[in-house]
Amino acid sequence: MFFDEMLHFFGQMASQTGLAQFWWGNVLMIAVGVSMILLAVIKKYEPLLLVGIGFSCIISNVPGSDLTLPGGLFHYAYEGVQLLILPPLIFFGVGAMTDFGPMIANPKLVILGAAAHLGIFVALIGAKLLGFTIYEAGAIGIIGGADGPMAIFMTMKLAPHLLPQISVAAYSYMALMPLIQPPVMRLLTTKRERQIRMKQMRTVSRVERIAFPIVIGIVVNLLLPPVAPLITMLMLGNLFKEVLVTERLAKAAANEVMNVVIVILTIAIGSTMGADKFLTGSTIEIIGLGLVAFVFGTGSGVIGAKIMNLFLEEKINPLLGSAGIASVPIAARVAHVVALQDDPENFLIYHAMGPNLAGVFGTALSGGIMLALLQ
Amino acid sequence: MEKDTVTFAVMLSVIDFFLSMVLISGIGVILWLLPFLNRLGKLDEESMRRGH
Repeated sequence: MFFDEMLHFFGQMASQTGLAQFWWGNVLMIAVGVSMILLAVIKKYEPLLLVGIGFSCIISNVPGSDLTLPGGLFHYAYEGVQLLILPPLIFFGVGAMTDFGPMIANPKLVILGAAAHLGIFVALIGAKLLGFTIYEAGAIGIIGGADGPMAIFMTMKLAPHLLPQISVAAYSYMALMPLIQPPVMRLLTTKRERQIRMKQMRTVSRVERIAFPIVIGIVVNLLLPPVAPLITMLMLGNLFKEVLVTERLAKAAANEVMNVVIVILTIAIGSTMGADKFLTGSTIEIIGLGLVAFVFGTGSGVIGAKIMNLFLEEKINPLLGSAGIASVPIAARVAHVVALQDDPENFLIYHAMGPNLAGVFGTALSGGIMLALLQ
Repeated sequence: MEKDTVTFAVMLSVIDFFLSMVLISGIGVILWLLPFLNRLGKLDEESMRRGH
């Protein structure tokens, strides 16, 4: 009698904990979260992102925790993504950190920012062929832009239920770009092409630097309202940096604001990685399509630069094309490192930053046009 | 036109890629025009830095 009551009592207690709902999927996702943290700590892969995402993923897979449910703290972090507040704030911080000088100094290279985005469309068509809806395919395609906040923004507009898979794929491949891009770059170029040296760029004046964010802000809001929140905030952050009289605000945007937003954003992404949503066949397909997008994007950028060389008197190094992928400054750094391997005195980094920054605009333009055509 | 088809996905991709090229070329033209602003004058960066 006494033991029956005790058994009933403990049974009731157990049913109120998360133990009753614990399944192997949670264990697997906790392992994924731990792996993310280990990759960040040991391999230094995107530590600012992976530590927060990994921890939030672990907590989200502990049944019984109300953090991710409406009213829970992680849920409010997710609201920041759902309401499309956090991605523009990330762009705000990025704008305050970015020197657009290399892009302004060499306008002809901006075309590479669009050329390197063929991967977006290859992934889009691939996703459609695999049976995703056109909205899901559009969101998956944007992984190829290699722009985390843009991928999140597009996903929340087109297919919010795919946020965990797409954000994880986008940020993982961005971290892996030094491994993914070089073989494609070498395959499509000759040693002589990789050794082409670029001419010293002109100095960009303060007037130009201040005019740039204002003019681009007007043009983007006029022509591409769907992505205006992102580019507007990018330009506001950059204006704070370039006017020199708002140094405090520029520093706050680049440091305090950016850091707070990263914390909330990573919590939000990790909180969507519940086993029931993440462990599906479509996750593997999305991860695969993301890789395809990065490979094709790199290739199309290099080929785009080679096509430009057919018309240019002063040839450009085709490795700059691969930097047209938006991931700043990883893609530019990869182009620089690959060029150094064939000519230790060929410093491409500053030149590669031009197409790399243009890639941010290229992804935003592709995304904006896609939203306009789909909605 | 039915949107949820492979044909539409291909069309969307072609139009999007082409328009992206056109628009980014437009940004290139804006950048090419920016140096003309230098004819308006030069800003004293030192005094700007001291301005707050």
